[in-house]
Amino acid sequence: MITIPYITALTTYFSYGLLFAFGQLRDFFRKIFDWWSKSSLQGYAPICLGLEDFYVRRLYLRIQDCFNRPISSSPDAWFDLVERISNDNNKTLKRTTKVKRCLNLGSYNYLGFAAADEYCTPRAIETLKNFAPSSCSTRVDGGTTTLHVELEKCVANFLGKEAAIVFGMGYATNSAILPVLMGKGRLIISDSLNHNSIVNGARGSGATIRVFQHNTPSHLEKVLREQIAEGQPRTHRPWKKIMVVVEGIYSMEGELCQLPEIAYVYLDEAHSIGAVGKTGRGVCELLGVDTADVDIMMGTFTKSFGSCGGYIAGSKELIQYLKYTCPAHLYATSISPPAAEQIISSIKVVNGEDGSSRGAQKLAKIRENSNFFRSELQKMGFEVLGDNDSPVMPIMLYNPAKIPAFSRECLKRNVAVVTVAFPATPLLLARARICISAAHSREDLVKALEVISEVGDMVGIKYFPAEPEKQQLEGDRVKLE
Amino acid sequence: MAILYVRAAPTTDLNRNTEWFTYPGVWSTYILILFFSWLMVLSVFACSPGMAWTVVHLSHFFVTYQFFHWKKGTPFAEDQGIYNRLTWWEQIDSGQQLTRNRKFLTVVPIVLYLIASHTTDYQHPMLFFNTVAVFVLVVAKFPHMHKVRIFGINADQ
Repeated sequence: MITIPYITALTTYFSYGLLFAFGQLRDFFRKIFDWWSKSSLQGYAPICLGLEDFYVRRLYLRIQDCFNRPISSSPDAWFDLVERISNDNNKTLKRTTKVKRCLNLGSYNYLGFAAADEYCTPRAIETLKNFAPSSCSTRVDGGTTTLHVELEKCVANFLGKEAAIVFGMGYATNSAILPVLMGKGRLIISDSLNHNSIVNGARGSGATIRVFQHNTPSHLEKVLREQIAEGQPRTHRPWKKIMVVVEGIYSMEGELCQLPEIAYVYLDEAHSIGAVGKTGRGVCELLGVDTADVDIMMGTFTKSFGSCGGYIAGSKELIQYLKYTCPAHLYATSISPPAAEQIISSIKVVNGEDGSSRGAQKLAKIRENSNFFRSELQKMGFEVLGDNDSPVMPIMLYNPAKIPAFSRECLKRNVAVVTVAFPATPLLLARARICISAAHSREDLVKALEVISEVGDMVGIKYFPAEPEKQQLEGDRVKLE
Repeated sequence: MAILYVRAAPTTDLNRNTEWFTYPGVWSTYILILFFSWLMVLSVFACSPGMAWTVVHLSHFFVTYQFFHWKKGTPFAEDQGIYNRLTWWEQIDSGQQLTRNRKFLTVVPIVLYLIASHTTDYQHPMLFFNTVAVFVLVVAKFPHMHKVRIFGINADQ
């Protein structure tokens, strides 16, 4: 539940209305100018239909310099940001040769494996020399090396499941697996805030999709009862298969799903694996759910393990079935050997099998960092989403003008944040998303807090009254429907 | 001064073009925009309040007709064009008829019409234009007109 001050909601709608009106006005004049000038494109069909690109042209391009910033170093706690300039009011951006050293609050670098690591990197380089950068083949043809077999065993052991199957790309894992598991006559019930990969996979499968309110098990129950009672859309026959798809940590919210209350689950742990839970085993461990209760666990290696690729873990029969049918396994190139070695080494570090306690230290550090940062931000009066222990914390901005203001002011002070707006988030709820990593030291976090507090005052996003030294409840709250 | 907070529950509407309408504060913003545009018209044209309401009513008619009932599709390409044949009115609430939002949006032009005609004392020619406007708007919002294109106007190729 997000709590918005009422005036902020009104002003946000008004700002968007104004931006929309100005965009329409400029489009209107553009149409007139284009009608006057002769176009050299006679006989060509238009690329965009109707108003499809209105949002990109009139809203996104105005603040384009806050997104897609190129970096020129590895995404560690501090990184080098390439500066860009624009001569035509942000319509095009040109890279300069100047580079800025910034604090990185945007990378999914939860356990700090993004930079060179003393255990993983030498091994990855060794594998690069022995196995070559790409396996150059699909899994069934010639792309299964000893590394792949070891990796799947490693992942299955880490998660406590019987078997696992690994793919080269996390997004492709979701979009290729869901069509295999589900098809016509089946039902997918997915959380309203599920990631695009799940939505695409579900749409591609041909199954019927129903959405339930984010993190509301009571609504999920209602939807389930309704659907089981009604059956398939026109024939009313019972569904052949029903699956509930949820995520471990929602990347835009930072919240954990309410796993203990849901069953028959496909759990997407892209953000939570490795980052939460006492030994890094994800939300199941954190929420005390036995992994045998979750039917299919999916995750990616991009976030906590510093590599690329995705996995599915489940029972032996399930994985065997997937190996025969999944197109990503049969036709897509297998995961690159050095990437696989990076994953194996990082899992070994997390488990402590490399002989040191660095894994346990990293896990403790990220939990400590996340909780410290979140509580400090909340004390300052920001509206921060996300549950405790989650390393993803969105700070609500709401107003569209505050998005570029926050982003640019933070950049001036050498802190790089990621801001997200419509349509990745709902219209009203634009936010700046902070991802904390185990590589951030206490001084980094304190500096980040200072900068964010200063910029927050300038931009005006401290929607809740700041708490003084003593703990006290947030100020006057009147709930409107 | 106490700050008024509202709770925003996440919606199940997947269409990004219309789900913003389900959040709190939209109705009030709509009404406030209408009221402030009346004040602006009054201050710019220095006409009588009745004429100002008529101007507001007619421009409201043009703007809402254009954006609710004429323009089809969504202003972004991420949904791959599944709503390309539907106007905004047909998209809200996923096509369900007679929801609270739809009833509110049907009432607003009627109330505007009543205010405009009352403050102009039901004189011609303002009354004629106001009546035509409200008639077109309300008929366009009927449940029976869902996905109906009269005489093929605004239909696809």
